[in-house]
Amino acid sequence: MISTNRIERFVVGALLALLAFPVTGHAWQEGDEKKDESADKKKEEPDKWFVVKNAEIHTGTGSVLRDAMLVAKNGKIDEIGHDLDVPPDAKVLDAQGLRVYPGLVAISSAGLVGQATSDFGDTVNPFNSNMILGLATGITTTGIGNAAVKLKRFSIKDLVVRDRIFSVFSWSARNPSGKRSLREKFQSASAYLRDYRAWEEKVKKDKELKEPQKKNVDTTVLAVLKGESTAKFNANERDDLLGIAHLAQEFGFRPVIEGCVEGWTVADELGRAGAMAIVTPRDRRPKDEALVRDGGSSIENAAILHRSGVAVAVVPGTESVDLGGLVGRDIMHLPIEAGFAIRGGLPEDAGLASITTTSARILGVQHRVGSLEVGKDCDLIVVDKDLLHYEAFVQWTVIDGKVVYDKQKELYFAHIRPRADAPAEPKKLDKGETEPKPDADKPKEGEEPKDGEKKGDEKKNGEGDGEKKGG
Amino acid sequence: MTSGGQDPREPRAPQGAGAEPLSKRAAIGAAGGLVLAAAAFGVLSMTAPPESSSENARGGPTLALLAAPAPSAPMPRAWWDAYAAEPAQAPTTASKSAAPSRKLAILALKAAVVGPEGRDVVDDAVVLVSDGKIEAIGPRASTAIPAGYEVLDRSDKWITPGFVDLHCHIAGKSFLVNDINDMVYLTNPELRASSVVEPDNPNLRRAIGGGVTSVLFIPGSGTNMGGQGVLLKTGLEHFEEMRIRDPGSLKLAQAGNPERWAINPGRSFMNWNTRNTFARGLTHAKLRKADPKLPRNIQWDVFGPLADKTTQVSTHTQIYQVVLMTLTMVRQGFGLDVYIDHGEWFGSKLAGIAQEIGAGAIIGPREIDRFTPGFSIDTDGQIQGIAAQYQKNGHKEIGFNTDSPVIPQEELHVQAATACRFGFDGTRMDALRGLTIVPAKTAGIAGRVGSLAPGKDADLLVCDGDPVDPRTTIEAVFIEGRSVYDMRTEERRW
Repeated sequence: MISTNRIERFVVGALLALLAFPVTGHAWQEGDEKKDESADKKKEEPDKWFVVKNAEIHTGTGSVLRDAMLVAKNGKIDEIGHDLDVPPDAKVLDAQGLRVYPGLVAISSAGLVGQATSDFGDTVNPFNSNMILGLATGITTTGIGNAAVKLKRFSIKDLVVRDRIFSVFSWSARNPSGKRSLREKFQSASAYLRDYRAWEEKVKKDKELKEPQKKNVDTTVLAVLKGESTAKFNANERDDLLGIAHLAQEFGFRPVIEGCVEGWTVADELGRAGAMAIVTPRDRRPKDEALVRDGGSSIENAAILHRSGVAVAVVPGTESVDLGGLVGRDIMHLPIEAGFAIRGGLPEDAGLASITTTSARILGVQHRVGSLEVGKDCDLIVVDKDLLHYEAFVQWTVIDGKVVYDKQKELYFAHIRPRADAPAEPKKLDKGETEPKPDADKPKEGEEPKDGEKKGDEKKNGEGDGEKKGG
Repeated sequence: MTSGGQDPREPRAPQGAGAEPLSKRAAIGAAGGLVLAAAAFGVLSMTAPPESSSENARGGPTLALLAAPAPSAPMPRAWWDAYAAEPAQAPTTASKSAAPSRKLAILALKAAVVGPEGRDVVDDAVVLVSDGKIEAIGPRASTAIPAGYEVLDRSDKWITPGFVDLHCHIAGKSFLVNDINDMVYLTNPELRASSVVEPDNPNLRRAIGGGVTSVLFIPGSGTNMGGQGVLLKTGLEHFEEMRIRDPGSLKLAQAGNPERWAINPGRSFMNWNTRNTFARGLTHAKLRKADPKLPRNIQWDVFGPLADKTTQVSTHTQIYQVVLMTLTMVRQGFGLDVYIDHGEWFGSKLAGIAQEIGAGAIIGPREIDRFTPGFSIDTDGQIQGIAAQYQKNGHKEIGFNTDSPVIPQEELHVQAATACRFGFDGTRMDALRGLTIVPAKTAGIAGRVGSLAPGKDADLLVCDGDPVDPRTTIEAVFIEGRSVYDMRTEERRW
């Protein structure tokens, strides 16, 4: 067992290093790697273990393990299985009768880490109430602006998982010259890249050979063609979607298309182009009745795209937490929005993927989050029933092997169908009633200070009653 | 203005072929405005409860003048009044143009919201439909399918009644065209939503895909009385077929929106003005009922059926302050049938009183509340489900509405789903009942729609599970026994 773990850790570590490599240009990433190395050196610091037991574990990769355990070491998933050894100093979460899912990955959101729209490392507010509501929804990672960010409560460390993910382009029938100029940019960047690759080979023999001219080459487009960033379009109309699909096939990149309302009418073309779609199943767009062809929105959009091989992520209509507004449409209803994709025919597992693995893949962070697999970050949620059921409530949210949200300990939802192990109303404690506590927190028998407190409370109550009677 | 009991209100039916049942119905409508005002009714005695109108003389000289057949039994009343005594019957519906009288036997895995109260479930059910009505419903084992019935085998599906939405604005031309929010006076009880209905409205088409088969199409909330709503079936072709009842309600709106009317009136003035309008209208109704020869003032037409309790006041009311006015002024003061419509925020504190005095509660489209200055009281920041609060505070019959197009009409079920999410106890089918039988009872149309019971309209949804769940697909919809939507043979609507 131990030896396999070691091998797994080695493999995963190597994988992580490889995957992290293309984007090492940023300070946070370098910091991450340095930390990993230093962690290996610091042998004296004890490992932090976190265990979930008695759970129905939905790994997000299609498998479900009943009455299973998940063991995490130093924030990474170490083992998933049955009857695993629990390290003596591990923090144990008993999820008896509950389900465990990977933490949700919201492909985009607004306001969950504060008001910041960029430079998250500097401007994040880790005590933001919207972050708690995001965690209460089950969101552990979110795309914000052009970065993938973890909802690390109480901490601003290692917040950003990946930065500068997308290069955003416009492709619209309303702007023909814009389309032409974008195509030209792709042509020149593509030509340059071809020349550059040829030069790379030749320069090995002829060191005098001059590097090809980079003049007039669009660096953003070049980054897409080199695979350093992902091309993202916001497009809904069939003609635009077709144009993007053809552009992508011509120049060999995989586009991410946000909106994609009429995608169902050209799903095959989008599938062939390897497109990935970010859709809101409840989007409404009337058909242009002047056109004979299919058009407008369809509840089946996500399902048809999925059947044609397009990776589909789901995002609600409102990307922020909206409490004063009209319920059921904001980021707190991410799973319900995925439910509408299922209504349209998307299989349930693809529905779950649309808010976990697929969105992680589109953000390029699937090596760390989105599913429960050994070596990935221990970001998980414990839910009282089927996550995609409208009544399901997240009971605990765990990020990097730490519980960062407990429904019964937060103000917002503790009163709604309270969990058996937690006091429904904290006020009751004032009257000296015994508090049902999770096993881990229970005081050992015969512990004197607690008894003393109890007696004191009773006395106080007695006095209070006496005063009332006297008055 | 006319005199001598000559009612200028023409029968709404076009003259010509197939108009006979329509004129019959129009006669009932006219009777609502004219004859039903005959019973004693203490309008201005603010505390005295109104006397029962059960002895209302129906028929009489006016009907003779109209030369229409005698009307059938009165429209069923609201649930709080005399639901138990309510016969499961309704005025004969309009003739179905070119619709063959189909006799159907629909087999289903489960039939939900069964019986007059909609509390029952039948497994392995068969629903017999003939002449647009539910003829019988029961377990397959004990229900014989008579010869000549077309059998539709949907025995892996659920069958539920169509949804009823008591707050919508979509049956007109468009929300962008101002056809339902004419803010002429601060109270406009004379305006009628029925005058602007567009049967082919694409929103209604789509509503059917979401299972909504009956709606209360009401004026906007720009003034305290926006006008009269009309109860409609969504999926039929002509207004006459669509109409369930007109007036469907008198739309009352309080605080908020009407404060933006011309002179920015405040709440105490608006309450006085509303009370004044009620008093004048009901006085007119009372006097004309006593003496039908008195000249008719069409501005006060709606108060006849209101006094008679054949229609209700639907109040766009939200916060404690104005929900209290709804209950004390409209219900207790004037003794009218009134329900909380578009119920939101902390009006829920009054749920117990509303239940006690018989005011319905239709909740939406805001299903949650937390502290908002000016709107909320005594919450420390918890997120409260509004329907859950109404339930907790003692209301027993809670329904849901959309306020479409604010929330798309087809998403009515999401209101029930989110209510459950935020603490509403839907375990006794109350979520599904809140979409069907509860609003039907609240609007007094439970004799025709809202549950699966013999004698009711065959407005049926065929779905692949509990239709409250957003994941559930509504595969086919029948309205009055006619197939108005079938996912398998036409483009998917929702």
